Amino acid sequence: MQHEVLIVGLNHRTAAVGVREAVAFADEQIDDVNRRLCGLEGVDEAAVVCTCNRVEVVGCTRTTGGVADRIADFLREAQSGAPRDLAPHLYNYAGRDAVRHLFRVASSLDSMVVGEPQILGQLKQFYARAASVGATGAVLHRWFHKAFAVAKRVRTETGIAGRAVSVSSAAVELAMTIFDHLEGKTAMLIGAGKMGALAARHLLGNGVGALMVTNRTFDRAVELARDFNATPVPFEQFAKYLPMADIVIGSTAASGYVLTEPLVHEALRERKGRPIFCIDLSVPRNFDPGINALDNVYLYDVDDLGRVADDNRDERTREAAKAEHIVTEEVESFWKWLGHLEAVPTIVALREKMEAIRRGELDKTLAGLKDLDPRQREAIESMTSAIVNKILHTPITRLKQRDRRVESFYIDAARRLFDIEDPDES
Amino acid sequence: MDLIFFGLSLALYLVAAAGFAAHLIVNRAGPRRLAMVALGTAFAMHTVGLALRAATLGNAVLNSFHDQLSLLAWLIVGVYLGVQLRYHLAVLGALVSPLAFLLTLSSYIVFSGAQTLPDELQTAWLPAHVAPAFLGYAMFAVASCVSLVYLLQEHQVKTKRRGAIRLPSLETLDDLNYRCVAWGFALFTIGIVTGSLLAKAMWGTFWSWEPVQILSVLAWLLYALLLQTRSVGWRGRRAATLTIVGFGLLVVSFLSLNLGLPHGRSFG
Repeated sequence: MQHEVLIVGLNHRTAAVGVREAVAFADEQIDDVNRRLCGLEGVDEAAVVCTCNRVEVVGCTRTTGGVADRIADFLREAQSGAPRDLAPHLYNYAGRDAVRHLFRVASSLDSMVVGEPQILGQLKQFYARAASVGATGAVLHRWFHKAFAVAKRVRTETGIAGRAVSVSSAAVELAMTIFDHLEGKTAMLIGAGKMGALAARHLLGNGVGALMVTNRTFDRAVELARDFNATPVPFEQFAKYLPMADIVIGSTAASGYVLTEPLVHEALRERKGRPIFCIDLSVPRNFDPGINALDNVYLYDVDDLGRVADDNRDERTREAAKAEHIVTEEVESFWKWLGHLEAVPTIVALREKMEAIRRGELDKTLAGLKDLDPRQREAIESMTSAIVNKILHTPITRLKQRDRRVESFYIDAARRLFDIEDPDES
Repeated sequence: MDLIFFGLSLALYLVAAAGFAAHLIVNRAGPRRLAMVALGTAFAMHTVGLALRAATLGNAVLNSFHDQLSLLAWLIVGVYLGVQLRYHLAVLGALVSPLAFLLTLSSYIVFSGAQTLPDELQTAWLPAHVAPAFLGYAMFAVASCVSLVYLLQEHQVKTKRRGAIRLPSLETLDDLNYRCVAWGFALFTIGIVTGSLLAKAMWGTFWSWEPVQILSVLAWLLYALLLQTRSVGWRGRRAATLTIVGFGLLVVSFLSLNLGLPHGRSFG
């Protein structure tokens, strides 16, 4: 019986957050869910994947029909809060479509923000969880690992995850075009605006070593500084500390320019021309646009950053097309492997291979022993046959294992150990 | 025999240039690796070629335009390979490889067979002058390539436009430029000093108002200024521009020596 792969589940495109929440499993439920899925009739292998954007069951079966429905029922009934009518939200992929879906998920092509890097790690965790309770076999093992490899290929061969797509991550990306690295760099946050705080958090997360926070209301600066583990600076004195800052973020509600040309000019002089990256996230703007004309000062306002993020988003879309192409290639490769994962053809191929070896060696030997009589020849013939049969006996018995999860592992192993032509590279 | 090695290195420089260009366009690691291997092999071939030629010609190898161009190409690639060990700047390779190719090609074009050298130049002073001076040239050449990339990147960041090619950070480029210029300056200083000592020994005078001397000293002053003013904030764009201007002066000075501008001697 041919292996069938399938995926049943829902994601951010088919179900609103309320539905996803209701269906999702808590961390401590996962092992039990994997075990119960494997107990469903016809399900050979299963792994549940449950992130904030998706709840999916990846499975493998060798019975025709009904398995997807049983998994769908399971998803509806497993959580008491799940909507009774889950069908409109569920998708059900089989065959190549299922293979493709898992590859796309791993490559972050199915993510809300295409190219986001978290999904691959999550997928690895969920596979490991399923494997740890014995819910997976050779098919899911190969399928998931292939998916990880596809994701890696997509990552290295396309620019899908290369560029920042939010304003704050665009700020980090730009900082990296100015500075070699952000470690040891100092940033100054002027104002308590939300955008500014977000950008500061991103910069700190990417290595910026120290942060100064200043605000017209000093108490607010102190409060914010506590959040960031930063140094509060009284607003009246920020000019004094300005030369220490490699990156200056403006996010105030002021209507005039807080950072003026003479201020920056003075800071530059004290910095001996070391570059300053100014990020003005306030509207109306807080930084004098004229400072961008100064040597070694780079000023970006919120529109500039938005444009960078937009460009990057366009680029990701273009790169995603390349990624789809890679996925298609890999689906075919996995599909061929799956097609060969059957006991009977493997046993036949194994016997043929052994017989060919026996025949070849026998002919060689007999050619050198011309003076044997027919009876002696026959004795040698049957002896070699007996050796081959004895050697093959246990492997073939193993290949006919009742336990399907174990069986597919043996088939895969046999094909590799005896080098029975396998369409796949590894 | 040496010509075979020069020919091989010439072909490999072209392969490296194409590889780096392809790497920048498609942004894959494959072409970059190919280019690095090609460039490394080209450098090795070039080394063998130069060694063979030096073995047969001795000091005369430093006296012809042909050999000087070839030596310069070899040194520039050597400096780049050294830089690459630490900085991993494929984009720099994309400038250095075609430069090496063009220099080696020009060296082929102006090839004039074996050289002879007046007996009085068969002195250890000649290599003692040419080696540091040329290594200095090579440092300045690489610094100019770095500066070019800096100016491009600076323009992109400043005007908020982004090219198709991802360039190294301004800080990296500025830092590398400074290092190359500092090393180049030190070597070039030695070259100038040994050069004037050589002139004194040959012609009895340290200084003779030749274009090569005037331009070299101008370039030297410019680089001295560049290194000095860094501490008061002349870095980045200004430093990059000065680096390129200084190198321009050196190119003119080098050509003046070899392309028939008046000078009173027959070596570089």
